[in-house]
Amino acid sequence: MAAEIGRSLLWLALPLSLYAAFASVWGIRARDARWAASAQRATNALAVLLGVGLLLLLVAFLSDDFSVRYVAQHSSTVIPLYLKISAIWAGQEGSLLLWCALQAFFAAVATGLPNEKARPLVPWATVFLNLISAFFLTVTVLHSNPFATLDVVLAEGQGLNPLLRHPGMIFHPPALYIGYVGLAVPFAFALAALVTRRIEGWTRALHTWMLVAWLGLGIGLLLGMRWAYDVLGWGGYWGWDPVENAGLLPWFTLTALLHGAVMQEERRGFHLWNMLLAIFSFVLVLFGTFATRSGMIASVHAYAQSNLGGYFLSAIGVVLVGSFALLISRRKALPSEAGPASLFSRDGMFYLTLILFSTLTVSVFIGSVLPTITEVLTSRRFEAGPAWFDRVTGPQFGLLVLILGVCPLLGRAAATLVRLRRRLWLLALGAVGAPLAAAAFGFREPVSLLGLGVVGLAGVVTVAELVEGAITRSRRTGEAPINALWRLLRLQRRTYGGYLVHAGVVLMAVGILGTRLYPFEVERTFRMLEPVDVGRYTLVYEGLRQEFVDDHVRTYATVSVYGERGYLVGLEPRLDRYTSGSQTLTTPALRPSIREDLYLILSGWSDNGEIATFKVVINALVNFLWVGGLVFLAGGALALWPHVRSRTWNLVALVVALSLLGGAVWAMWGATHGMILGGTGRPLVGEPAPDMRLTLLDGSTVSLASLKGQVVLINFWASWCPSCVEEMPALQAVWEAYEERGVTFLGVAHRDTQDAVEAALRQYGTTYPVGLDAGERVSTLYGITGIPETFIIDARGDLTLAHIGPITAEALSTVIDAALDMSDQ
Amino acid sequence: MKGHRTTFVIAGLLVVAAVVYLIVSSTGSAAQFFLTVQEVHDLADEVVGRNVTVSGAVLGETIVYDPLAPHVTFTIVHVPGDSQAVEAAGGLAQVLHDATLDPTRPRLEVVYRGVKPDLLTNEAQAIVRGRLDEEGRLIADDLLLKCPSRYEEEIPGQVEG
Repeated sequence: MAAEIGRSLLWLALPLSLYAAFASVWGIRARDARWAASAQRATNALAVLLGVGLLLLLVAFLSDDFSVRYVAQHSSTVIPLYLKISAIWAGQEGSLLLWCALQAFFAAVATGLPNEKARPLVPWATVFLNLISAFFLTVTVLHSNPFATLDVVLAEGQGLNPLLRHPGMIFHPPALYIGYVGLAVPFAFALAALVTRRIEGWTRALHTWMLVAWLGLGIGLLLGMRWAYDVLGWGGYWGWDPVENAGLLPWFTLTALLHGAVMQEERRGFHLWNMLLAIFSFVLVLFGTFATRSGMIASVHAYAQSNLGGYFLSAIGVVLVGSFALLISRRKALPSEAGPASLFSRDGMFYLTLILFSTLTVSVFIGSVLPTITEVLTSRRFEAGPAWFDRVTGPQFGLLVLILGVCPLLGRAAATLVRLRRRLWLLALGAVGAPLAAAAFGFREPVSLLGLGVVGLAGVVTVAELVEGAITRSRRTGEAPINALWRLLRLQRRTYGGYLVHAGVVLMAVGILGTRLYPFEVERTFRMLEPVDVGRYTLVYEGLRQEFVDDHVRTYATVSVYGERGYLVGLEPRLDRYTSGSQTLTTPALRPSIREDLYLILSGWSDNGEIATFKVVINALVNFLWVGGLVFLAGGALALWPHVRSRTWNLVALVVALSLLGGAVWAMWGATHGMILGGTGRPLVGEPAPDMRLTLLDGSTVSLASLKGQVVLINFWASWCPSCVEEMPALQAVWEAYEERGVTFLGVAHRDTQDAVEAALRQYGTTYPVGLDAGERVSTLYGITGIPETFIIDARGDLTLAHIGPITAEALSTVIDAALDMSDQ
Repeated sequence: MKGHRTTFVIAGLLVVAAVVYLIVSSTGSAAQFFLTVQEVHDLADEVVGRNVTVSGAVLGETIVYDPLAPHVTFTIVHVPGDSQAVEAAGGLAQVLHDATLDPTRPRLEVVYRGVKPDLLTNEAQAIVRGRLDEEGRLIADDLLLKCPSRYEEEIPGQVEG
């Protein structure tokens, strides 16, 4: 039922969008406000209609309506609720519907609630926005209808691709779509400004929308990076995958546009730049959708076997030809550029910023389509891998960060280093201090030190700019400096939001330099309980455990991590094998620290779990990237903060923003990420065994230190544990054989009572000393994870055996003999 | 004013020229030669020791995996590289299926040091980045696999190895 209504709604929506565009044109032609009002109503109705459509699809998912093909392909009765919701955008049809709905909603808001400056542009913007809606609706209705039904009704859906079963998937695609769709608004208003020849004021009128799109894309990209890091299990966060690039390209041009808009508002020109950037941002959105849906590019995101490529290619052609024709016909209306400015001035730096974002866009674009380009040019296909992208974009990013650092020091238009002299020592501190500090911590790769010098300079200048602003204000107004900073952040949101964004960029640059220039990745096979040195860590594989969950089997591997100063943490990387189909999903475990993340992936195992293979990745400085990303987003949010006087509203918005930020912080560092916290770790074989003190059943006390010079066996057991009591006769036999040869046995009864222990000792004829582990002190000291566990310590006090599970008399004798031989030497 | 405008243009051109240089030089050194199995055979000695990316269909019965090394070898079969040719032959899944059944097509042995990716199965499309050795084997650094699985209609699985 929902499907039929949904289909009819979509069929109704297409003519409605065309009507809205037509009515608006008619209203402009006939100068008739009634037609304009009708166009507005149609635009609003379209938003409502598609909103209902989205709700209907949601209903179909929630009610497990597998007669709808899209639902049957992307859901099943067993997946949790949040995944059923996020399944709406898990495939092409649903994504396109979401796209259409957002497009209609944004169009209604942008044309219905314009600010004063945007108002004259609304009639034409209504035309362009509705034409864009009509294009996406055509594609959806004709080729990708989410409400298409199946002839047979399935009892169970196919389920959701395991890779997409991650909470990040709730936010990542919608955030990106807000960015993509949001870009249509500045584009439509830019064209409207061209048509109506009101070119001076359009950037100021559209600032909010640019920021909405920019923030949406930024959040989407960062979430995508974090999702790749947490889920894809290859240890990285950015692979220059063509689809990642498709999201990055419009973000580059939009960032450039935001900078160009500042210049235009300050009456420093850049009108042509801003027009071109608005047009290309939208074209790049279309290119991104084309690239992912044409099957042209192999990628994790590509929607295979899609025939929408032709539509998007034609749309790109129409938009480019139409926009340029309009631009050329209005060339005389473009205001002349600003007066004289030196290259080494604020104007000059903004100009270079725009140039660099443009060259970056072109570089990444060329890299994404390199196989096609080289095939046409040389008839051979070359492909750009991460090395290509790093080499080509690295210097450009470096230069951008340098400009970001130098710009605040320069005069507005003339070549004056206005504030340089006072700040010279600060600059030197940043440029030299950052690489020196890094070198002190062992980061000595030359290119990274050069990069850190630039980053240090930019960081110092940005922070100084924030601090100086606060101090100046505090002097002028007499407020406390911290209050002055708070007021500045509130009153000059865009400027100080911008500085925060810059600070975020600087932090992110540190993370990118660390991960790209200090890569560390090995694949190693581990035997159970055998320590393996990897980098500055010693890892001990402790075994596997399995769980059966709904439609998959989870295998956890436990690995103890030791650093230079002993036990750090236990890690539990996970591998899920899905019972239907052969798909598997690895969930890495990671231990974050300021210096680096230790990132562990379970690759496989054999011999019943005796042997397991892990991929170990060490990501240097990667947390700077994530912290930087959050600072970056916070800055963007600050710049976007609307001018509302209501105290309540501001408070609510602040609480929402802070809780979102808090949620992100928790998701990155608060969640365990496969860490087993609170453990103490077993002592390592070959290292001194921790001293322990045990009160025996007869009331006497024994300590390991007092037994130095003897070989000591410690057996953790309990009278209630079947496999423990099973090995007691073997232990007793070995004890009897070695008692006279300088060997001591100690039984440590774990979570047991005196009566039960004494009864068990009588029953099995055990005569070696046994004590109760009061308060589990000894168990904690030896980091046992279960019982029985057996440790053997040689005459020097070093551990020579750590064994999990029951042990045989032969195995014990071998180790004890070896330990005795060593003490005889 | 005139003088400043010229400096702007020159500075812009310098940046553009530097980027063009970076792109051209990186394409020469850091880019990968993208080849089909047929082309590897045709070019033979010319590509030995070069960075190449070869795509082909995986032959299931040739997969040999040593989990302790870890080390995998398998053979890929030629499939057309051109997406139009793939469409004309009935889509990727069909092309991959046909390739594995056709004994006359050129083949290439791949050696990969690493854990066997789960998507490495019969009729998977392998995109292998690596280097050709003297014996005509492809020593892989990276494996990218697309599977004609039931998820294919939406999202082909991918592994980076």
